[in-house]
Amino acid sequence: MISKIINMAERMKDEQDRLLESMFESAPIADNGFSNQIVRRVRRKLWLRRITLPVAVGIGLLIAFRPMAALVTGVYELLLSMPGDLVPSLEGSLPSLQLIVTGALVLGVAMFSLSMLED
Amino acid sequence: MTWGEDHELVARIVAVQDTRAFGELIRRHQSHVRNFLRKLSGDMSAADDLAQDCFMRAWDKLHTYSGSGTFIGWLLKIAYTTFLQSKRKSKRYAEILEQVGHVSEAESRTYAVQADEVTDLDKFLAVLSEEERAIMVMSYACGLSHREISEATSMPVGSVKSVIFRGKEKIRTSFDIKDHQHG
Repeated sequence: MISKIINMAERMKDEQDRLLESMFESAPIADNGFSNQIVRRVRRKLWLRRITLPVAVGIGLLIAFRPMAALVTGVYELLLSMPGDLVPSLEGSLPSLQLIVTGALVLGVAMFSLSMLED
Repeated sequence: MTWGEDHELVARIVAVQDTRAFGELIRRHQSHVRNFLRKLSGDMSAADDLAQDCFMRAWDKLHTYSGSGTFIGWLLKIAYTTFLQSKRKSKRYAEILEQVGHVSEAESRTYAVQADEVTDLDKFLAVLSEEERAIMVMSYACGLSHREISEATSMPVGSVKSVIFRGKEKIRTSFDIKDHQHG
């Protein structure tokens, strides 16, 4: 019985429906800069998101530069100190320390630029 | 510049993060969302803050809009969730304050309007539960269909119909509408 009443109420608007509709009806709210305020917030958020990764990468590179250089030097020296018959042509084939560090930096900058381009 | 339909704007925003297109979407729907939240909370400035949060969330979730329902229905779903979450937060805050012996200024933000602004609609809304109020506002103020309300509130269509029926009954019995019409 109740479901029949509910179904009927859905199809037909009774007096109370019309009354409620007129009561709930309200004048449109003027924008008055509301949308601009949100757009500004969104733009700020986008800008922050874009800048966060590069800044984090930059800071990370600065922090990691010295330990990385020390690690590379250590590995390089270890390889050089190995017996000649273990790595016969090592000295000729290994790039210089300067080249390795420069290469790592170039790679870092390239990855950073790619992520910027992607954004 | 002339903008297309809502779903075209959404597609543009998702594809190129066009903030101007998003601004246009806000301009189109801000009145409905703010009206909905104002009627739900009874507090104009709090409702506008919630509306801002709602649009910020909408920006983050735009890629989840499938285009199957109306955009305003999807937006009101976010608005309703934002409202419920804010209620939960302020309730937790009130509980913490109570525990430390303070009287909360945000004391249970139930539907309350300033005494000099009480309209017939405010009286009607005051007799409804929060859920009934939300559904009645979606139905009568925003013109959403039962199916759209069901999607917005994650309730079965049958339950939505029952809530509307119950809400109308409450209003009818509380204000004796049969005997003297309002307006």
